[in-house]
Amino acid sequence: MSEEAVGAGTGSRWKLSLDTWAVLVAFLLALLVRTGVFKHVPW
Amino acid sequence: MADVLRVPQVRPVQPALRFLRVIPGVLLLAVVGYAGKLLEQNVGAYAKAHHWTFPNIEYVLWAIVLGLVISNTVGVPEIFRTGVATYEFWLKAGIVLLGARFLLGDILKLGGVSLVLVAIEIAGSLAFMTFLGRLFKLKPKLTTLLAIGSAVCGVSAIIATKGAIEADDEDSSFSIAAILALGALALFTFPLIGHALHLSDHAYGLWAGLGVDNTAEATAAGALYSDAAGKLAVLVKSTRNAMIGFVVLAYAIYWASKGQAQAVGNKAAFLWQKFPKFVLGFLLISVLATYHFFNKDQIGALANLSRWAFLLTFAGVGLRTNFGELRKQGLRPFAVGAIGEVVIAGFTLALVYGASKIFGW
Repeated sequence: MSEEAVGAGTGSRWKLSLDTWAVLVAFLLALLVRTGVFKHVPW
Repeated sequence: MADVLRVPQVRPVQPALRFLRVIPGVLLLAVVGYAGKLLEQNVGAYAKAHHWTFPNIEYVLWAIVLGLVISNTVGVPEIFRTGVATYEFWLKAGIVLLGARFLLGDILKLGGVSLVLVAIEIAGSLAFMTFLGRLFKLKPKLTTLLAIGSAVCGVSAIIATKGAIEADDEDSSFSIAAILALGALALFTFPLIGHALHLSDHAYGLWAGLGVDNTAEATAAGALYSDAAGKLAVLVKSTRNAMIGFVVLAYAIYWASKGQAQAVGNKAAFLWQKFPKFVLGFLLISVLATYHFFNKDQIGALANLSRWAFLLTFAGVGLRTNFGELRKQGLRPFAVGAIGEVVIAGFTLALVYGASKIFGW
């Protein structure tokens, strides 16, 4: 949502927003869980 | 304002160096958050072993309080600040992962109800904050920022609006300071009021999602009440967040019509730019969970990953809140924000009560 709060950037046209990075990392984690790399996450 | 927001300055640095710079702060978030978790487990057990009467304090509150103590006593050293500012990243990743605990049907049902409540809340809050701003003779753009911060989604909405209506840095600093200070107060007052009124998890979650402005504080205020209330608070708050583009667009068009902001060219592109992408991620994960892409154990693992992400977030909420810095921002915008927030909290509580009666929650 806050594209301005992305943080340090290089000025690249491909710079992703904080939101997009958060979604990508969350999906990567979900994929690792789905494929069994993370079998059990304790709490 | 940098001390309050702690958003790192934009400097052209190598990606590897940028990654290294966040590590100390992320470690601090992890240490503070985990200390909160240990305190929750051990303080209760210690009190019970010694036959003391001591309330069960959740890790959420311990992590926030520890962060507040550090931030307001010794302060957060410069080396940690870039990493501490990532708390918003962890919040959004945690919300996306939380989507695995929602079935799509529940989201459509709850989202539909909350969408109606959110629409009423946004309209009422915008109107009341605009009235208050005029009553206290605040600058019109400062009033706009405070109104949007209170009505939609706190700091993110203010930052998004600042650029769109070409507001001053000072105005946005005032507004952010007021919203952050009031969000910190809501963390402590909302659960107390909820318990005093014996609100159900459902009613309280709705209220926290509607009444607390910043997403991190709304998530924490919900989690402080119960796990179920926390889930619902996140869903309702995400519904509010989804409205940000439309509200900011309306204000951008209004200020452009007065010749005090640039006209908006491509409105669809503007809406997409302002739309919170993590809401889409949250929906997509819940679609995958609904269609059994994940088994039961995997959903449990995703839920725990979400909890770890929130643990870092709650530590960050405490660490980035410095009351000394907030006080420097001035009293009048804070007074307007405080009066507005109290009225909006009462208004949203009445909305939730009304909805509870209608839907039998």
